[in-house]
Amino acid sequence: MRRISVPLWLGLGILALLLLCAAAPQLLWPTDPLAFDFAALTAAPSWAHPFGTDQFGRDMLARTIAASSVDLQIALFSVVFPLMIGTLIGLAVGWYGGWLDAVFGRLVDLVVTFPFLVLVIAIVAVLGPGLVNMYIAVACVGWVAYARLIRGEVMVQRNSDYVAAARVLGYSTARIVFRHILPNALRPVLVYSVTDMALCILLGSSLGYLGLGAQPPTAEWGVLIADGKNFFTTAPWITLFPGVAIVLAGLGFSLAGDGLADLLEVKR
Amino acid sequence: MMDTKVPVSRRALLGGVAAAATVSAFGLPTPAEAAPVLGGKMIYARYADSQRLDPVFTELNVDIWVMNNLFDTLLLPTPDGKGLKEGLATKWELSDGGKTVTLTVREGVKFADGTPMTMADVKFSLERAMNPKNGSWNSMVASVASVEVTEPATVVLKLKHPDPTLLAALAMFNTSVLPKAMYDKIPGKDDDEKGKIFGQKPMGTGAFYVSDWKIGEVMWLKKNPYYWKKDAAGVQLPYLDEVEMPVIPDDATRLLKLKAGEVHGTEFIPYARVKELQGDANLRMELWPSTKVTYIQFNCRPEYKGKPNPLSNVKVRQALNYAVNKDAIIAITTHGLGKPLSSFMSSVTPLHTGSGPVYPYDPAKAKALLAEAGFAKGLEITCHALSGNQDDQNNLTTIQQMLAQVGVKFTIEQMDNASRVAAYRKGDFQSRTAYWTDDIADPSEITSYFVYSPTVDCLHTGWKSEEADKLFVASQEEVDPAKRAAEYAKMQDIFNHTGPTMPLYETPYPVAFRKNAKGFVQIPLGNNYFEAAYVEK
Amino acid sequence: MNRSTWLLLRLLQVIPTFLLIGVAVFVLARLLPGDIVSSMLGERASDAAINRMTHQLGLDRSIGAQMLSFLESVARGRLGDSLAFHVPVLKLIGDRLPVTLLLSGMATLIAVAVAVPMAFVAALTANRWPDLLIRSVFQVGLSSPVFYVGLVLLTVFAGWLRWFPVGGYGDTAGEHLYHLFLPALTLALSFAAVVMRSLRASILQVLTAEYVDFARAKGLRGRVVLFRHVLRNALIATVTLVGLQIGSLLGGAVITESVFAVPGVGRLMVDSIFARDYPVIQALTLVLAVLVSLALLVSDVVQMWLDPRVGR
Repeated sequence: MRRISVPLWLGLGILALLLLCAAAPQLLWPTDPLAFDFAALTAAPSWAHPFGTDQFGRDMLARTIAASSVDLQIALFSVVFPLMIGTLIGLAVGWYGGWLDAVFGRLVDLVVTFPFLVLVIAIVAVLGPGLVNMYIAVACVGWVAYARLIRGEVMVQRNSDYVAAARVLGYSTARIVFRHILPNALRPVLVYSVTDMALCILLGSSLGYLGLGAQPPTAEWGVLIADGKNFFTTAPWITLFPGVAIVLAGLGFSLAGDGLADLLEVKR
Repeated sequence: MMDTKVPVSRRALLGGVAAAATVSAFGLPTPAEAAPVLGGKMIYARYADSQRLDPVFTELNVDIWVMNNLFDTLLLPTPDGKGLKEGLATKWELSDGGKTVTLTVREGVKFADGTPMTMADVKFSLERAMNPKNGSWNSMVASVASVEVTEPATVVLKLKHPDPTLLAALAMFNTSVLPKAMYDKIPGKDDDEKGKIFGQKPMGTGAFYVSDWKIGEVMWLKKNPYYWKKDAAGVQLPYLDEVEMPVIPDDATRLLKLKAGEVHGTEFIPYARVKELQGDANLRMELWPSTKVTYIQFNCRPEYKGKPNPLSNVKVRQALNYAVNKDAIIAITTHGLGKPLSSFMSSVTPLHTGSGPVYPYDPAKAKALLAEAGFAKGLEITCHALSGNQDDQNNLTTIQQMLAQVGVKFTIEQMDNASRVAAYRKGDFQSRTAYWTDDIADPSEITSYFVYSPTVDCLHTGWKSEEADKLFVASQEEVDPAKRAAEYAKMQDIFNHTGPTMPLYETPYPVAFRKNAKGFVQIPLGNNYFEAAYVEK
Repeated sequence: MNRSTWLLLRLLQVIPTFLLIGVAVFVLARLLPGDIVSSMLGERASDAAINRMTHQLGLDRSIGAQMLSFLESVARGRLGDSLAFHVPVLKLIGDRLPVTLLLSGMATLIAVAVAVPMAFVAALTANRWPDLLIRSVFQVGLSSPVFYVGLVLLTVFAGWLRWFPVGGYGDTAGEHLYHLFLPALTLALSFAAVVMRSLRASILQVLTAEYVDFARAKGLRGRVVLFRHVLRNALIATVTLVGLQIGSLLGGAVITESVFAVPGVGRLMVDSIFARDYPVIQALTLVLAVLVSLALLVSDVVQMWLDPRVGR
């Protein structure tokens, strides 16, 4: 094990801040993110509203903080489901190989060939906009990357000495796969999943921006930017702070992911 | 609202005056101003492209609002959208108790390719518009039994019954005159097939013709050198040689292009940015009076998604109306540009009645009405919005907040256009956002759609008033203007107070131009007129 | 297995992928709620008009029958007419595809031009301040949402400074490049970050690999080592990555083209999905799939040519 590097500290620090925002928004800034203030419509940043207000007089600091829980949720769920599905499929494909692997190969081609965003837009359009449907859409596409990673690891380890030994000892397939192969194969997957969270936040906010992600009045960074688009020149604070928040969150996850990869010595 | 821009002449309102007066009503420069510049090109950015420029088969405003530059109708709407004036016909009279209409057609009119317009063209075009198999607008001229023409210049329409809306229908885009000889040469087994091809490269007697069209990107209109209209000074219209219409769906990008001087004008300025543009010394913000009304509509059927639907109770609908402060919405969404509706139809629509908001803001009354209806503990309602539409979002976010204060949980569901329209047509919505613009200078179009249940179940809401239905049927054959007005007053009263909508506001059409681009006109029906537009150097 | 057999197999693999995509996109398009007729005719159209058009477009036939006739016409190289615009789909796509290709090409060039030298600097100064600086700057690029960056670049460089035109495509080749620069830059931002990261990693890997040490031990000068081994391996990595990234580049083009009003296939795709213009959705997906497959194929071939181990 190496020691924890500066970028990793930085990434973890950013993530801790976001977690704090998500867990205890009232603690950081007690203003209600949904409360209108007709006396301060599109007000510039001030002591009362450090990030300014939007066209309804809602406090942008409170909204940016409130959005962090939604975006973290997006990062988590958009990764967890593909990870689980992809891991199971990857294990099966890697272990059994043969025709299963051939079918998998075609599926991978299909998903790789299909422009990702277009596919997600189409799936969300079918199911209707909203976070849950967005997760489903992302899972439909996202599992492939995980399955590929796991498959590769499993194929390497399938022929390793310890698996051969386990076979000789008469262990069941399930035991070999889940108790021996999986823990070893999971490490690069977990590292990848942290970086993937950064991409998912970007994707979630892009869909929010297109009106296909989180629904109002839910505050989500992409939605906040879309809402403030008309005020981009006259009241730039409405879009600026959520924009910075997205970059910051993405940075946090990427730095943490890179740092973890170095720390755990995972090849990328 | 903001009527100062269009100096409407009284004479023009009454119709049947010389073309000169007509044109001056279109906001042409007064003698104090410099003479219009002849020739050149105007670039006008649109938010979406046209789809099918065929007067009979079109369905969409993106087609309708530009077709008046390509085609003419026998009569034309006046600039205020309420009256009629001469178009391809110079005179018209009713006889036989309103069952015969005789029109005298202007002589010497030519299509854009130089071929003269004949009476055969007129007869063919009217009959094509009347054919019940063609398009969605034939009902507007369904009262016509036959079209008879005599050369050189007379058209006689025999009606099945007196029809107070027929003259207005002769000024509606679907009765535009098309070149029969050119149309006959187009291959195709029926009007729909031929119309598809014609609609790609349409030509009429209008001020311009479509010279080139990259679909979804840009359309070019070129001057019709044979156009029949002249301005007050006797100068041949149109002034411009060419109009270029690029399609730029993104509001922010479209406005940046205007501010950078890459286009001369653009439409659908977001209300949030009107003030900013008004303050820009290089630009001129124009707010044209319009028939556009914005409202929320409620499903009135007893059940929605298998559960009892509280909106079927008129008291609940009234309560929601009282609970929402329309002035706050007007301030937030339209930035003060809209005004509260005093009826379901716009105040510019003929026979509109009412003054002041239909439901003043009164949350206490709303709560009382909800309690009477048995919802003292509150209720939940969902609303279909158009995804990505800022106005919808602003309206609904505000409504959501206000309804929460009277115990109503209002859930917004964003949908893309196709899904939303499909749900609408099936009546599969609890409430939804909507807006309307008139296509005809008469209240019958909007009333048929909103109030008369046999048309589309009153906005597909399932609402129905037997009395209003009867009134509408009677008004459609009523030739006495006073009686017809009384029928309309009663229908508006019934619909406004028990109907399936929450009227929000009426708004002008916001368009903006560079200071040197002048003479564009948008009438309350939405039609864009470029015939008197010009660009100063 | 020799190289030509490998190439042939690789080509053959593409065919079932296309068939699968054809079926998948057909089914997906039909699953979309609402239909073309509603969206074409709008809210006010009469039921009779709706029914008439549904019949004319053949949308009242069974899904199976529609799918068969779709696959049949595709096999004959016909992709039908756009339902919304009444023109052949291939003409619509043909007009717009070059725009998107130029945009993606420019984005790739910009990304590679920036990322490759930076990756070398970063790798050679690994974990010292130039490396950390470069990595953080690119990291920010990777984390920036395309729609926001696009809006900022457009407002600042086109709106305020007037250095570039506000979106559009222009008429001449020179104008095309000028108009597409900002959107290409937007698109290149995250792409450059991806290229830089993996290139840096692969350079580091080669630098620490045994054969470089071996080469050094043999007395070759450091620079020669860099050029011989590192550059070639880095190139392989870059080519692979560019091939793999074409799909997401086209995806990113969807949003970029909307923000910058670029008349490319990305915008056409979104418009067609929203309008339920089935023939355009289907044809466009197929065309894009062919493109991506070609890109992958080309990158495989280039890889094979650069790296003798592949395909043996």
